[in-house]
Amino acid sequence: MKQKRNVSYAKYGYIFSLPFIIVFAIFSLYPIIYTGVIGFTDYKGLGTTTWHFLDEPFKNFVTILNNGSFRQALKNTFIIWTLNFIPQILMALLLTAWFTSRRNKVRGKGFFKVLFYMPNIITAASIAILFYALFSYPVGPVNSLLMQFGIIDKPVYFLVSKANARAIVAFIQFWMWYGYTMLILTSGVMGINPEIYEAAEIDGTSGIQTFFYITLPNLKTILLYVLITSMIGGLNMFDIPKLFMQGGPDNSTLTTSVFIYNQAFSGSYLYNRAAAASMIMFVIIAIFSGILFYVMRDKSEIEIKKEAKRAKKERMRLLEEQEAAQ
Amino acid sequence: MRKLISLLLVVLMVFSLAACGSSNNDTTTTAAAETNVTEATTSSGSTEKTVLNVWSFTEEVPGMITKYLETHPDFAAKYEIKTTVIATTDGAYQPALDQALASGGADAPDLFTAEAAFVLKYTQGDASQYAAPYKDLGIDVDNAIKAADIAQYTIDIGTNPNGDVVGLGYQATGGAFIYRRSIAKDTWGTDDPAEIAKIIGPGWDKFYSAAADLKAKGYGIVSGDGDIWHAVENSSDTPWVVDGKLNIDPKREAFLDLSMKLKENDYHNDTQDWQDAWFADMKDAGAKKIFGYFGPAWMINYVIAGNSGDTFGDWAVCEPPIGFFWGGTWVLGSASSDNKDAVGELINWITLDTTEQGLQYMWANGTLNGEGGTKDAVASGTVMSMSNGELEFLGGQNMFDVFIPANQFANGKNLTQYDETINTYWRDQVRAYTSGSKSREDAIKDFKQMVADNLDIEVE
Amino acid sequence: MKQRSKSKSILFKVVVYSVCLLLAILSVLPFWVMFVNATRDTYQIQQTALSLIPSTHLMDNIKILLGKTFDPMKGLTNSMIVSVSSTLLTIYFSALTAYALVAYNWKLRSPFFTFILAVMMIPAQVSVIGFYQFMYKIGMTNNFLALILPSVAAPAAVFFMRQFMLASLPLELIEASRIDGASEFYTFNKIVLPIMKPAMATQAIFTFVSSWNSLFLPLVLLTDNDKYTMPIMVSLLRGDIYKTEYGAVYLGLALTVLPLFIAYFLLSRYIIEGVALGGVKG
Repeated sequence: MKQKRNVSYAKYGYIFSLPFIIVFAIFSLYPIIYTGVIGFTDYKGLGTTTWHFLDEPFKNFVTILNNGSFRQALKNTFIIWTLNFIPQILMALLLTAWFTSRRNKVRGKGFFKVLFYMPNIITAASIAILFYALFSYPVGPVNSLLMQFGIIDKPVYFLVSKANARAIVAFIQFWMWYGYTMLILTSGVMGINPEIYEAAEIDGTSGIQTFFYITLPNLKTILLYVLITSMIGGLNMFDIPKLFMQGGPDNSTLTTSVFIYNQAFSGSYLYNRAAAASMIMFVIIAIFSGILFYVMRDKSEIEIKKEAKRAKKERMRLLEEQEAAQ
Repeated sequence: MRKLISLLLVVLMVFSLAACGSSNNDTTTTAAAETNVTEATTSSGSTEKTVLNVWSFTEEVPGMITKYLETHPDFAAKYEIKTTVIATTDGAYQPALDQALASGGADAPDLFTAEAAFVLKYTQGDASQYAAPYKDLGIDVDNAIKAADIAQYTIDIGTNPNGDVVGLGYQATGGAFIYRRSIAKDTWGTDDPAEIAKIIGPGWDKFYSAAADLKAKGYGIVSGDGDIWHAVENSSDTPWVVDGKLNIDPKREAFLDLSMKLKENDYHNDTQDWQDAWFADMKDAGAKKIFGYFGPAWMINYVIAGNSGDTFGDWAVCEPPIGFFWGGTWVLGSASSDNKDAVGELINWITLDTTEQGLQYMWANGTLNGEGGTKDAVASGTVMSMSNGELEFLGGQNMFDVFIPANQFANGKNLTQYDETINTYWRDQVRAYTSGSKSREDAIKDFKQMVADNLDIEVE
Repeated sequence: MKQRSKSKSILFKVVVYSVCLLLAILSVLPFWVMFVNATRDTYQIQQTALSLIPSTHLMDNIKILLGKTFDPMKGLTNSMIVSVSSTLLTIYFSALTAYALVAYNWKLRSPFFTFILAVMMIPAQVSVIGFYQFMYKIGMTNNFLALILPSVAAPAAVFFMRQFMLASLPLELIEASRIDGASEFYTFNKIVLPIMKPAMATQAIFTFVSSWNSLFLPLVLLTDNDKYTMPIMVSLLRGDIYKTEYGAVYLGLALTVLPLFIAYFLLSRYIIEGVALGGVKG
């Protein structure tokens, strides 16, 4: 113990985040700023190499906000997101409760856990093709199944109906991601100190009580992560709506990300409008995240500070003891 | 070990930082690119071969060039081919190609291909400056086109705004009507292509009265409305965009009614092209037997033949009620290529050579990779007339008898670079209308709205 | 009383197992269809895309697949290089960054964290334009590093690791390690990382899967045949729009998924067993 005792560790915060910051600055920040900037320009069309800032800086933003398809896309995104987000979180929580229950051990839970994540492994393209085939018309597995059971008497053109198309996209999203959410939640539960549970067991709390009064509060930080990332992922939903029906039928599964992609990479290559739309989405998502953070009121920050203070006190005490011993 | 990795990373990052710093200056970038070129030539100095970069979206054209190298040792001794194949399915071919064309340098394409759906962009649209006129590649275009008897629509599409030909194809994709002989006999007592052509056309009125005849016998005339779309689209007099404004040609607008008529009268199986049910109709596996399909020669060989099941041999091909073309690949040379002569030599062999050693002769007779390959219609009428287009699938009919004239009816002047996108919107709205979920007016209104929202096109 | 709780527990079990079974079937079905389709020919697949009964064309499909410029070994190797490196970089550096956010009290800590969150919210579709124009400029096309290096900065993974550490990393352990005279870096590697195992395994799976399946960026950045990853190769198989060989495409897809399976099942041990607990208790 030759080093100076009262060392400040703050610099390690900088040192350890340095790789992240450098790589991020090079590979992400530049493209992001680039996107931000071209939202204010007339940059569009293929092979264009020069662009100019617009005289009215917010023209692209105004155009996008008045764009009927963008509004429709925004509406669709919220509908589809709500339809998959709520069931997804609930199902994941339910499965987490079952699988981590110490009272009612579910046999083969490892097996189930491993299986439930599997839909996330296949590429979205294959899943889109698969579901398209499932619901195909006039001949298709779902149609023939329903007809066999006499539920319908002639084939239904599922994918021409807006409500059906949205529901199917929402279902695919749910099905692809509930396993992911569940895995994260269970790994969070496993990180909880088992002594807490042991104490609860001695106190004789019921399984449901344990889940609500011990698991959930201790899961808060991870739950916040799940909520925030599912929200961001959901509002930026792209693969399935794009690959499943190209945003159709009649724009009913057009999400904002698909809209942005179409603006930038097809037809007229309107990079500037796409960038403006991205920034608008960014603001919307940021507002929602802010609300979520407020609702979940991340007390962890405060806890860390408390912890740090306590640790410091401890350190001081130890130092004093050591010095006293000397 | 971990320290080593992180050290390595830091070094790499510093390196890329340095690279990024220098690239801010445009002149340095081009200078760097040029150094790359010299490097490439010096490094290939040992083998003394020049690299030609070929970009395509399928392996078809690279395969042809490989064949050319095999049969032309002199060429193969001088040049080495580097192919880049990127599929169009995931929408990545165009962005990657555009980027490569725009950035130039040693890896830039010398020769590239474009599909009918987006070729206009490279011949007449936003990216047309990258395509070299054939005459700059050392090809005597005007005379060669005449000698080869190339269909006018192919030339129209491949001509840039200055009037120079920059792209031609090797396939002919003029369309015909491909129908079932047994159903024709059952309905009208004949399966003769000349007779059937007179029954189903010319014009949509005759086509629909034929549909009524077929319905009386329990048959459908086509599988879905997608089958008639290509004929409708290509028969229009004006393109989707005129002077930067959206233009709905009356003949394309009529697709709403034509499609509705098929649906209301139950003239089809209401399938969607390229879906299971559409393929099923090729072998009588649908709700009712289907009389035929609209399509070019590739449709026969690559699509229907393989899916025909027991109906193989029971097919024939005749003139369609309306002339059209569908699909095709155009071959272009890059304006910035340093090896224009070599590129010209390849392009000439692929698109204009009418001899028996030319690509098209082998393509038409299915002999490119040995006897018995797939026969296809080719761009040159001259080549087709000296080739044998008899197919077992068509009961021995020579398909070229129909496809040579078919090319003359196709129209290459009603296209825009936005067609792929606009067609999707249009067909989406037509489907919504025929399914009964919206009125005719709303369908047109929503269509206009989508074009206005998504493209840089004025809409009234 | 006892009777009632017993019947309740049976009811609980019935509900749990029937839900789990249903979900399990839904999970397995697409894989089954994919593997079955890999044994069917194009014609059969076009008639009915979905079948549960394997057919006899596996060898034909293998022949078609290998007849094209499809080189599974090369694709697998390339994909492995990219995905394994990306995964290692992501989990190690995310843990390190998260550790910086949790264990140290530095001035820019909370602005930095807010920044990471903000970054996650930007739709990815458009910054892609900037990214690949940049890669072209600095000549990083056809270079795996362009796909690997950015994974050092994975905001979502950092966020996850941070949340996990907040919940389960006892700061006392770090203190104890410091008192023992360990360097900060040593403490992180030898004490913090083992505690983070379940979080790292979870993130490793997610990172590996998304890197393995990533298509659009590699497709644009890698134009050299020798550099193609598996998804690019499969996308090429589908690319021949006029005469797609569906059986071979499914076989290609199946081959792509196989290594993911292996990686997943290897890592799943951590998820199932919860190795987490060791570190905390000690």
